[in-house]
Amino acid sequence: MTIYNFYIFDRNGVCLYYVEWNRRKQSGMSSEEEFKLMYGMIFSIKSFVNRISPTDVKEGFMTYKTSKYRLHFFETLSGLKFIMNTDLNVGNIRDILQQIYSTIYVEYVIKNPIIELDKPITSELFKTKLDDYMKGLPFFPAKVS
Amino acid sequence: MADEVLFDFLHMELVSYIHHSCVKEDNVKDTSIAKLESTGFRVGQSLIERFTKDSARFKDELDTMKFICKEFWNAIYKKQVDNLRTNHQGVYVLQDNKFKFLTQISNGKQFMESAPKYLAFPCGLLRGALSNLGVNCIVTAEVSAMPACKFQIQIQRS
Amino acid sequence: MSRQAARGTDIRKVNGELFTLTYGALVSQLMKDYENDEEVNKQLEKMGYNIGVRLIEDFLARANIGRCNDFRETADIISKVAFKMYLGITPVISNWSPSGDEFSLLIENNPLIDFVELPDGHNALNYSNLLTGVLKGALEMVQMDVDVRFVQDQLKGDNLTELRLKFVKRLEDAIPAGED
Repeated sequence: MTIYNFYIFDRNGVCLYYVEWNRRKQSGMSSEEEFKLMYGMIFSIKSFVNRISPTDVKEGFMTYKTSKYRLHFFETLSGLKFIMNTDLNVGNIRDILQQIYSTIYVEYVIKNPIIELDKPITSELFKTKLDDYMKGLPFFPAKVS
Repeated sequence: MADEVLFDFLHMELVSYIHHSCVKEDNVKDTSIAKLESTGFRVGQSLIERFTKDSARFKDELDTMKFICKEFWNAIYKKQVDNLRTNHQGVYVLQDNKFKFLTQISNGKQFMESAPKYLAFPCGLLRGALSNLGVNCIVTAEVSAMPACKFQIQIQRS
Repeated sequence: MSRQAARGTDIRKVNGELFTLTYGALVSQLMKDYENDEEVNKQLEKMGYNIGVRLIEDFLARANIGRCNDFRETADIISKVAFKMYLGITPVISNWSPSGDEFSLLIENNPLIDFVELPDGHNALNYSNLLTGVLKGALEMVQMDVDVRFVQDQLKGDNLTELRLKFVKRLEDAIPAGED
């Protein structure tokens, strides 16, 4: 079980945070381009999923998977988007993304008066707390190859 | 009645407002810190009035300090002061290893330059509380690594 | 011991009083800094807005709520969840407009105004104006443009404090470049 990488976007598409642990292949474009692509794609998928839905929409887009990896998506009512890529052994982790929001983002970003909310997060404390949390997850590998 | 997070956010805005309002002064940093401290002082005085309405007077200065370190600190910062030292000559040092206003900011030296402005109001709060308990003093705060913080109280004998 | 018990009650209230006392000190400071009450009202609303855009995240993290389907659900959540959580009161929702886009929150015991008296000559001051900004800022973050204003104020001699909320429009997410 593995976590590859993790993105946080705000409601305007600004990438507030990105971190990778075991990413084996790069996208071949600059970070800036990748963030724009990721945000734009998620935006379109969300809209598509809702429009094409044959039944009532509740949560909307949550996840997609390929034969090699799975992308997990969680959006708060305030438009914050949390995206995590994992291998296929990881199931539904919506509650984990929600916990990252409520116990790490809210504690160490929202409650830090020095951080501006619409800029990339520079707080080392946030970084440490997130890292500790991720490493404590059962599906975070013990050894990074 | 009011949830504690409301005070946290109000304090953030207060610091921000005072700084912006002092922008035209010669020494922005000192003026805004002084303003925050005196606001904290007035609040500390009022707060202690309501808090100790039913309590008996303290038997001496040290007793007062212990009250501050235990009940007062607990009520406001949800924990007690970790360490109280004194030279028995009118100087007391209160050490809080996880000071409430610093725990979400940093775990070390990052953002250190901004720490003083979030300690000004607490210093005033402490000075105001002590003043209404009959102790006149000067309070300063020192941070070497967040979230730990030392408050130094210097008693003013008239 | 009875004194211990009395202390226990006091301790729980101290934090709430810290907020209301600090708020009072802030309003006093603003009244010194600004010549007229309208300016103070504006500043309070602005500060409230800044608080609201952060408070909403704390709220969403703690309250397990889904998206509101209409303004009536929003009203319920504001009164029964948000006001309860943050101020310990549950304002009465009333005076709905016929089209359902406007309602009032009636507050009998506004904790902000405990022990407060408006000084003479300041009748235009909306002492609790921070609340209008908080609501506006918080709602904006969940894509609602809402007008909030005080129509009654106990500090001004009215029986109740009444906040009026009017839905203006839904705010859409910014569409990323090249995606429309």
